Amino acid sequence: MAGTVIGEGLSVEGDITSDEEVVVQGNLRGKLTSSDAVSIGPSSVVQADVAGQSVSIAGQVTGDVSAPERVDIQAGGRLVGDVKAARFTIADGASFKGAVDMEV
Amino acid sequence: MSQSSIIGAGTTLRGNLDGEGSLEIYGRVEGDVNMTGEVLVGETGSVLGQISAGRVSVSGAVQGDLRGSEAVLLERGAKVVGDLSAPRVGIANGALVRGSVRTEGEPAPAQHKRVAAAPPAPKAAPPALKSAPFVAKPVAKVEPPVVQALAAAAPAVRPHPPERRPPPPVLPSLGKGAKGKKKKDRDE
Repeated sequence: MAGTVIGEGLSVEGDITSDEEVVVQGNLRGKLTSSDAVSIGPSSVVQADVAGQSVSIAGQVTGDVSAPERVDIQAGGRLVGDVKAARFTIADGASFKGAVDMEV
Repeated sequence: MSQSSIIGAGTTLRGNLDGEGSLEIYGRVEGDVNMTGEVLVGETGSVLGQISAGRVSVSGAVQGDLRGSEAVLLERGAKVVGDLSAPRVGIANGALVRGSVRTEGEPAPAQHKRVAAAPPAPKAAPPALKSAPFVAKPVAKVEPPVVQALAAAAPAVRPHPPERRPPPPVLPSLGKGAKGKKKKDRDE
């Protein structure tokens, strides 16, 4: 089970800092930083810079995303912002607008 | 429907939480929490801010007011600095609280305040009105009230008391013989 879950009915306005897995299924405005995996669920709306060990996006994200490991945009996911990650995938059906830095 | 949310032990949230459903806090929240369902602050959880929810259950630390539309429950190990208000407030053995407690719903205190505030004004006002007519009528008709009125007026008007000094004591004339001696004996 995920350490931290922002459920579907929950709106958070502020900064979240964590050293465990974070799952967002609700709304978040602010900043999200975790040293573990971050998952943005399909129903979620996130207006924040997101940083995690790895970041998976299935909802709507507006903000920069960075992860030392990987960033994945799932089908149906939407990201507007820059991505900085060692690995980066965009699934078929995902939408993305922004710059990519893979530390080449 | 709305899913339950969890702030894990390794998570710190600076900001406000608003939402439906239930929320479990095992980490740290610095900000206000507003939920329609249940908010549970676990043993490892700490909140710096107000919590209002249908039901607030605390086993951790909270610095801020707790409001429950249904209940506020402090479990063993809870440390709360703040006011508690809910229709039902439970404080378990081993819970620490510093703050005031009100076991009433939100509307109830407001009504009580109104009721408490309203009567004093009417009570204060009518006596003044009643006393005025009562005094006024008797003064015109009967004498005793007039005396009372004068007596009442006297304190305000200083000149009267000196005029109404009691008569000087009338000393009985002394006999020429034994009485005088006795008195002298007493004086000595």
